[in-house]
Amino acid sequence: MSWTLPKLIPRSAPILLLVLTLAAAAGFAGVSHLVARFTANQQARGRKLFARGLAAAGVARYDDAIAAFRAALTCDPTNSQYQLSLARALRDSNDPRRLDEAESYLIALWQRSPQDAAVNLALARVAAHRGSIEDATRYYHNAMYGVWNSDPDTNRNKARIELIQFLLKKGAPANAESELMALATSLPPDPESHLQAAQLFEQAQDHPGALAQYREVLHLDPANSAALAGAGQAAYSSGNYGTAQRYLEAAVNANPQDANSRQLLATADLILRTNPFHSHISDAERNRRITAAFTQAEKRLTECSQQTSANLNAQSPASPLSSLQSRWTAAKPDLARLHSPAETDLPDSIMDVVFQIEQQTSTACGQPQGLDLALLLISQKREVASQ
Amino acid sequence: MSDPASSPLSPPVPVSRLQTSRRLFSTLEGVFHEEVFFLILSVFIGIFSGLAVVCFRLAIDWMHLALLGPLPQTHGWRLFAVPSLAGLAVAVLVLHVFPGIRGSGVNQTKAALYIFNGFIPFRTAIGKFICAALAIGSGQSLGPEDPSLQIGASIASALGRQLEISREKLRLMAPVGAAAGLAAAFNAPISAVLFVIEEVIGRWSAGILGSVVLSAVSSVVIVRWFLGSEPLFRIPVTTFKRPTELIAYAVLGIVGGLASVAFAKSIGYLRPLLKSLPRWTQYFQPALAGLLVGLIAFLGFPQIMGAGYDAMDQAMHGQYAWKVLAILAVLKIVATTLSFVSGTPGGMFAPTLFIGAMLGGAVGDIERFYFPHLTGSTGTYVLVGMGVLFAGFLRVPMTSVFMVLEVSGNYEIIVPVIVANTFSYLVSRGLQSIPLFDMLTRQDGLILPSLEEDREETILRVEDAMLPVPATILSAQDYVDANARRVHDSADSTFLVRMHPSGWSTVSRDQLQRFFQEGKGELTLASVLPVQSLPSLYPDLPLDSALRYVNDYSLVPVVNRANSRQLEGVISRDSVFKKYGSRRALEVPTSS
Repeated sequence: MSWTLPKLIPRSAPILLLVLTLAAAAGFAGVSHLVARFTANQQARGRKLFARGLAAAGVARYDDAIAAFRAALTCDPTNSQYQLSLARALRDSNDPRRLDEAESYLIALWQRSPQDAAVNLALARVAAHRGSIEDATRYYHNAMYGVWNSDPDTNRNKARIELIQFLLKKGAPANAESELMALATSLPPDPESHLQAAQLFEQAQDHPGALAQYREVLHLDPANSAALAGAGQAAYSSGNYGTAQRYLEAAVNANPQDANSRQLLATADLILRTNPFHSHISDAERNRRITAAFTQAEKRLTECSQQTSANLNAQSPASPLSSLQSRWTAAKPDLARLHSPAETDLPDSIMDVVFQIEQQTSTACGQPQGLDLALLLISQKREVASQ
Repeated sequence: MSDPASSPLSPPVPVSRLQTSRRLFSTLEGVFHEEVFFLILSVFIGIFSGLAVVCFRLAIDWMHLALLGPLPQTHGWRLFAVPSLAGLAVAVLVLHVFPGIRGSGVNQTKAALYIFNGFIPFRTAIGKFICAALAIGSGQSLGPEDPSLQIGASIASALGRQLEISREKLRLMAPVGAAAGLAAAFNAPISAVLFVIEEVIGRWSAGILGSVVLSAVSSVVIVRWFLGSEPLFRIPVTTFKRPTELIAYAVLGIVGGLASVAFAKSIGYLRPLLKSLPRWTQYFQPALAGLLVGLIAFLGFPQIMGAGYDAMDQAMHGQYAWKVLAILAVLKIVATTLSFVSGTPGGMFAPTLFIGAMLGGAVGDIERFYFPHLTGSTGTYVLVGMGVLFAGFLRVPMTSVFMVLEVSGNYEIIVPVIVANTFSYLVSRGLQSIPLFDMLTRQDGLILPSLEEDREETILRVEDAMLPVPATILSAQDYVDANARRVHDSADSTFLVRMHPSGWSTVSRDQLQRFFQEGKGELTLASVLPVQSLPSLYPDLPLDSALRYVNDYSLVPVVNRANSRQLEGVISRDSVFKKYGSRRALEVPTSS
């Protein structure tokens, strides 16, 4: 098989170069057409495979999804959507060996468009899988301040919430709290968002922050039982028992099945009824409460001693419960002098004995119930207030 | 219609334009002398080769999709049925329609350069295109690079013949086209140029370098235009921090060298064995190879089918445990050996990279398991491993280094690559004296020059055959009778004469005697000497260069390069031939 250039064409260099140029142009046009058709076919095939991959990923069949996304990428190697989906599937497959590959796809995408929020979010999740707080925080922030294709505000808040959850999971509440403060200022007037934020505040042990968010929810949806219960619990945890009582009552009324709120309500009631340091009670009432607390403390001490199978009399004078018994016995005569107006420090000194008994017995014998629990919580609140 | 130039009414402008065009044309003719024309032609060769390689790659992809489908898990029985049937079709085509397209094509291109005056039939390009696309697309364990090289060379050769360029230039067309084809297939122009120089041309030649570079660059531009500039692999982060880690890479080099030898020896043993079987078996050899390759794939290792770039990419990103990597390396050696020795058209480049990648990953993982302080990632070892096999198996050390650098775009790993490749090359050369491509050409009954042979050959230099500075050196400024008196007691018959202000000449005792008898004793020697100046040699020149002069001049001065008046010694015909004779005497026992 051989071909020959027509002999009509003179063998002079300029003409030959002209012929070659024309031949190259024709070849270029032909190959362009061929490549365009092939590319179009490949892209169509890629779209089908991509859809198959998405379906598999949707039902957590990640191996199938990865195979489909890979095949889609062989059809359309530069498609960033396919690359991003493959990277996500690789990451979500829970195979640590695949994280490297996922990361390499994402870094390639990131280098192409560093402002792409979806890519940054995916990279943040890879970093979160690896447990790297620094990298995850950086990429989550990039995602928050990056460009979203749709609904940027919601997506930014979602990214921040994800970061907060990651930080809480990694035991970094201080970092989480600063993100929470930023989140609180950017939430839309939507009960669900505020409710989620309030729960995150709770997880970060920021009860006043949680209470504020629950109040926002109740402002938007006054009958929201979850917010009522949450607000009651947040107020209770921050020692604000009056507020807790109000919210918990409303929560129990709204949802009578809410046993937790009911139990907290009972304790809050008890605290409010037995706290001798309440500002709006008479002296007689205060003395009565002190006497009741003092009696209850002795009872708790006795029970705890029995629970630990220890005979108070047999205990060495150096043991904690024994010394508490001694202090209680020594303080008992002071009860009679409570009515004397000159003894202004006496209520505090008697209640100190009570609080010590409640605190030490809770350590030795576990969390108390009823009045003992109320006295323990009052003691904790007093400690916090005095600090 | 009448000629406007001949019409009395027509203005004189068109005539003037015609003359101008003719003048311009003749000027252009003058500009495009053969050297310039050859350079421009190199660009066109690059363009045509690039276009052909684009089509070739599309053809392979199309074949693969049509025959095996897009998803690996849906292949099933097709995994072994398709390569077997395709092998049968390829065998028929090779035996009846396209003879001479077996194997990779590198040797055929080299043979075209050195034996067939640059002639490669255009039929070869067509046959290689169809058969290699069918074989690789159906899953035979071969790559598209070497066929691309041969397609490029074939196009260049056909173009050169059609344009009736000189025989000398036509001979060079094949390597120019080969560089274009390989550069387009690899998307790596530097590696292609180096490979063609190291393996196809077999010697460093400045004369052709410009054309090879131009064709390689233009073909890469074409391929990137159509297929994009994405690299073959997504390169992971590669690191090299501590110099002590070079020991780990040296170990990889040694392991790679051993694997290269095993790979080359298995091909060297099986290829002539299968070729010696009856002709009818050649119809079934590619089919059988395809069946075995397909069975390996069916049994759980589909990565070994075809070129395997996707698997290399995944290995680079730590997708496989070291055991899987090691198994894939071994299976790929088996599969590629089977495909290649069966005579199926296809290349060795991609399989070499594949084996190197898997081996590099496996060795790297094992090393990091025992020495956790090693900082190199799996991807780094995979990349270095590719170069290691290239250096050890194909025995192209320069290409192997630049190939890794070009593919990775990362110069941080240049030191590990050089260290590992050097070890691999040395181990391979130590255990297998003849490189793969030379072995294949010798099996085909051809002996072609090799850069490795050149590297190893001891070159005789002028200083090796140089005689000491003669005791008697005459001066051209002295009188003839004075010079005759000086040579009176000398036993030599010919004397060196120092010319003024520079240069050298010779005079014989008889000549001096004759000048004296002719009454020229009172004249200076310079005025009577027939030859005014001798050529000079330098001690470091190859001894071959002295051969041009020793027949015409009985003595040739050897002078210092820094001072041409300083004589280092002399060369005579006897001293040169004596040196060549003594060398032959040394070589005879070695070659026998």
